[in-house]
Amino acid sequence: MMKRLPRRSLSPSLPALALLSIALPALACTLLTGCSSDGDGDPVREVVLYCAHDQVHAEPLVREFERKTGIKVRAEYDIEAHKTVGLVRRIREEQGRPRCDVFWNNEVAHTVSLASDGLLAAYDSPSAADIPAQFRDPERRWTGFGARARVFIVNTDRLGDRAAPDGMWDLVDPAWKADCGMARPLTGTTLTHVAALYTVLGEERTREYLDGLRANEVHLTSGNATLMRQVRESNFTWGWTDTDDYWVAKSDPNGYAVDAVFPDGGPDGVGTLLIPNTVAILANAPHPDEARALVDYLLTAEFEAKLADSRSAQIPVHESLKGRPHVLPLDGVKWMEVDYAEVGAVIDERFEELKEMFLD
Amino acid sequence: MSRALRILAGLAFALLCLAPIAVMATRVGAGDFERLFTERTLGLLSRTLTLGAAATTIAVLVGAPFGFLLSRTDVPGAALMRPLGIVPLVLPPLFLAITWTALFELRGPWATAIVLGVNTFPLVALFTAKAASRVDARREEAALLAGGLGAALRMELPLLLPGVLTGAALAFAFTVNDWSVPDYVSSVGPKFNVYADEIFANWKLEANTGKAVVTAIPLVVVTLAALLPALALRRKGALATLDGDFQRPAPLRLGRLRWVAFAFCLSVVLFCVLGPIARLTYEAGGGGRSFSFAGVVTAMRETLDYERDFLANSLIWSAAAATLALPVALVLAHWIERTRGGRWTEPLILLPVAVPAILFGIGTINLWNHDWSAAVYDGNAMILLLYLGRFLAFPVLVLSGAVAALDPRLEEAGELAGVGPLRRLTRLVAPPLRPSMVGGWVMVFVFAMRELDAAVLVPAANHTVIFKAYNRIHFARDDAVAALCLLILFFLVLPGLLWSLFAREKLEVLP
Repeated sequence: MMKRLPRRSLSPSLPALALLSIALPALACTLLTGCSSDGDGDPVREVVLYCAHDQVHAEPLVREFERKTGIKVRAEYDIEAHKTVGLVRRIREEQGRPRCDVFWNNEVAHTVSLASDGLLAAYDSPSAADIPAQFRDPERRWTGFGARARVFIVNTDRLGDRAAPDGMWDLVDPAWKADCGMARPLTGTTLTHVAALYTVLGEERTREYLDGLRANEVHLTSGNATLMRQVRESNFTWGWTDTDDYWVAKSDPNGYAVDAVFPDGGPDGVGTLLIPNTVAILANAPHPDEARALVDYLLTAEFEAKLADSRSAQIPVHESLKGRPHVLPLDGVKWMEVDYAEVGAVIDERFEELKEMFLD
Repeated sequence: MSRALRILAGLAFALLCLAPIAVMATRVGAGDFERLFTERTLGLLSRTLTLGAAATTIAVLVGAPFGFLLSRTDVPGAALMRPLGIVPLVLPPLFLAITWTALFELRGPWATAIVLGVNTFPLVALFTAKAASRVDARREEAALLAGGLGAALRMELPLLLPGVLTGAALAFAFTVNDWSVPDYVSSVGPKFNVYADEIFANWKLEANTGKAVVTAIPLVVVTLAALLPALALRRKGALATLDGDFQRPAPLRLGRLRWVAFAFCLSVVLFCVLGPIARLTYEAGGGGRSFSFAGVVTAMRETLDYERDFLANSLIWSAAAATLALPVALVLAHWIERTRGGRWTEPLILLPVAVPAILFGIGTINLWNHDWSAAVYDGNAMILLLYLGRFLAFPVLVLSGAVAALDPRLEEAGELAGVGPLRRLTRLVAPPLRPSMVGGWVMVFVFAMRELDAAVLVPAANHTVIFKAYNRIHFARDDAVAALCLLILFFLVLPGLLWSLFAREKLEVLP
């Protein structure tokens, strides 16, 4: 026999449900957000860092800052596939109520773009006193440190007896047809690099170069690390990459036969491009004092030396670190003279054009 | 059902699922539609559709026979192979791409199509199996008597077709939206671009925001064009309501062909499930340099120690999102099925799944990053809201299918007996839907555990295990990456595994 259901209805009233629907999420929020304090009940000093430098390299160094200062760093990183775009986009979308205090970018162009849009605050860090002017925004909205260089990674086994390439125009030389490569210039440091070429070579020569790349069947990869792997595995002989990617291959226990060439060092050459990390404090940052403390720490020569000694082998820009031994052969390298502010502006102007050429 | 309940569930859906999209739509200007379709973008779209068609073809060729054989025939080992066959769908497609490109010298678009086909064939298999299990025993017996196995199969084919097509349409929708597999396969071989590259590229520049939103429209249209017929087809096929006197068919006897069928099914399980898991285990143990089982144990233990907090975060947030989604989904599902015109809301239900993840993530930032909601945005609650917004559609669709198959007379009787709407829902509707409710829970849990593209934009996502896994793929040692992939895989299949082991009812995960 079927059991009778009680007649009394439990139909909820709208106010009761509304109360429930507010109370439950509020409870969940309380449980899931909380507030931070130290053991004595005092609020913990904290700073929010958006970090585009590789998490695996940056995290231990950030923890050291926490230990030294007692300031908790809420560090948020990007994923490799986003290549900085994720964090930059967040900073832009959050500009109405900034959440980030310090932006540690692993390149310069997007930082320049944020500065020109008024999203960064000026701060002249005392730690940056001996960083050359080339790596500092004249208005002090950002400062460069720990750079990567754009180099050729060459597979010496595959190269054989041939002379190694020594300049950017080798990519368009028919002798290297379909045997060299670069990342698509739509993201990361390769995009910055091509933008830098526009400022150094001018529009016509850069267009000629980019057209030449297509004509010479240069292998276009999805990123610099990918290019490094392709050269390492001998899929083609050489290509543009960053020094940190080169050093990952060179220092691998498998002992890959690769060397780096710092290109365009001759009298007519444009030199090798350096792309510094950049650090900036956000306009209206919620923790300005802690932000300044973190920026001071990141810009010390001591910190830059640690970056240089890490697996990412960043190249120091502090004057005081010049001549310091480095795993990369930096002696006598001719560096490209470039105005990073101009490079940042060029990306906005040229991106559509580059997309038409390289995203098909 | 209570109007108050419907209003609250509708408001929750509008706020969590539609408002982020609406916010982004307001940033579109008329000029953003210029040059939406050029020879180049049409080329990218065409390549993406071709890739989707190729992957779907593979999914159908593998999934349809696999689902049918394991659900309706006497193929040996079916009970074991059935759950194993679902594993590729649970895995993040990127994990499959990593293992397949390591196992085989496959590169380029074909490799991408194969990986995506492997990833989505369980969808076709599940729908085919469901449709096959709804063939009435008397009809099948009559065909067998009239013309043997061949006649029975010819009779069943048209009945299976809606199920196969539903699975195929879902597989197509999943594959055309995937960016991680083409991106990864391109990173180990020649680069080729898909339409998702265009969408992502347009997010780079601030001035492009409106254009970035507009660029997503063709893919959203394609996705909805695949999903909406799939939803209609499921009512005719896999989830058609059964007659009251339906008789479940007995397994078809294949005779000596059962060993051919066994070889086919075993090959699928080996290539699509056990092969990738074995490869990950091999890598975790040191790979070609120094493989050992002790190495596997060490790598797993070290990874667990190192990533314990991130794993715990992912498990807690995914489980919480799945649990919170269920009551809302139940009300919405009931609304869709039991209200006149309710089915017309299905395109809206599907919209959060159809829009690109990055667009949804940025919309969520815009919606919640205000002074009044700072506690939510800055804290971990934000990730719950994001997971709910993105994945509420799954339990809604799973449960609406289940409600459709439920005899409405039960509820009518309850109403006549004076039982209130909430109690009717919780006491009469929900209990028979338990397998679907658990299925819906599992779907939200799995997709939330896997979610990266939208979640990475909100603060808490930096502390999830999938975020760590993606960064490890690029920077860590192969053994550490493989160990983390194995750990994530274990927790992804755990809820379904536990249910299969301890519950008497089958899990229902079909929409």
